[in-house]
Amino acid sequence: MESDLKNNIPTIEQIADLLTDISCELMSSGAHTMRIIQNISRMAESFGYIMDLSVFQLSIMITIVNKDDKMQRLTQIKKTNHLKLNFTIVSELSALSWDTYDKKLSYDEIKIRFNKIVSEKRISRWLVLFLVSCANASFCALFKGDFYAVTLVFWATMAGFFLRQEMIKYHINHLVIFTSSAFLASLIAGLGYVFHLGNTPEIALASSVLFLIPGVPLINSILDIIEGHILTGIARLVNASSLIVCIAIGLFTSMLILGLEKL
Amino acid sequence: MNTEMIKLILIDGLLAAIAAIGFAVISNPSRKAIYVSAFLAAIGHGLRFFLLKMGFEISLATFVAASFIGLLSIFFARLIHCPAEVFSFPSLLPMIPGLFAYRTILSLIKFMQNTDIQKSQSFIIDFFHNGMTTIFILLALVVGVSLPVLFFPKISFSVTRKY
Repeated sequence: MESDLKNNIPTIEQIADLLTDISCELMSSGAHTMRIIQNISRMAESFGYIMDLSVFQLSIMITIVNKDDKMQRLTQIKKTNHLKLNFTIVSELSALSWDTYDKKLSYDEIKIRFNKIVSEKRISRWLVLFLVSCANASFCALFKGDFYAVTLVFWATMAGFFLRQEMIKYHINHLVIFTSSAFLASLIAGLGYVFHLGNTPEIALASSVLFLIPGVPLINSILDIIEGHILTGIARLVNASSLIVCIAIGLFTSMLILGLEKL
Repeated sequence: MNTEMIKLILIDGLLAAIAAIGFAVISNPSRKAIYVSAFLAAIGHGLRFFLLKMGFEISLATFVAASFIGLLSIFFARLIHCPAEVFSFPSLLPMIPGLFAYRTILSLIKFMQNTDIQKSQSFIIDFFHNGMTTIFILLALVVGVSLPVLFFPKISFSVTRKY
């Protein structure tokens, strides 16, 4: 069986399909451009192909050329999925690309391992909800918020993040998701102002929306720009900045409703 | 450097570690990576806290702390065979300048709603002061953490290689 798998030489179409699938998966899991290119070219090389790749925000374009037979070449474009961060996939696929290179894995073995990596379960959403709430509460404590502020932020984050998880389930536009979660979280945290809870209601309000900050896309964008993938970097930067503007709009709206701008 | 100071730094690091765990699980890393990012966040934020107490400017202190996290993360990446950014990104998040960003927006709102020129001028100053601080801290974070990756590209791209 083992030797049978190895003798089965994959066609150029099969390899191109596999490589585009893997690069799209890396892109939507939040890898930066340099890593995608390194991983995919390593895999292509072990199959005996030269690979060129360009990464855009919504699509990936890939060309592979056979090293021995330059007439055998294929270009393919694939739409990427929406960004859904998953660093387990990034590190597993990166390991898979090295294994392909070092152990000369066959096409079928790679395909099996790829499908297994992609179908692995995420951390339970309720655990994530709890940990994010704790995180944002301790964020508030880092900014020297008092006990009332920390408690408020904990519940505000829980409500806001729960709303976000539910809205993601129904595939609502992500700008709307960010605006409404920021609105809900800051509305709850702003209650500290209204009912005069504790001495630091300002800090509660400020840190209530911080769980939404798109940290990974922001860092990825600067990393891309530094490494010379300026177009992708700017696309990511614009994406992250528009999310930040949405957070600001949500915060702004709840402040206007609660009448906090006069403070 | 007295015991009071050390206690403050430890509390600061502990809070940063909790924050890093929470922000790490959003991006679904492996369990080992979560522990490492909590540890790195505690060290990085504690270091920044110490530097701020020593009288460093905030964006410079952030830069030093972020590059320290970047260096350590390459070491840990080799140790647990996992790309460095998996745990260096979440460990930076506790240093995101949230309060400055909030004050930027607040002063912008106040500027829009105010008609008095004298007050408007002070709001504009607030806006630029807080906005610039936010941007510079963000840049310091990212450039600081990616400096080691730029200096050692071979190492940082081959950490998941096992042979």
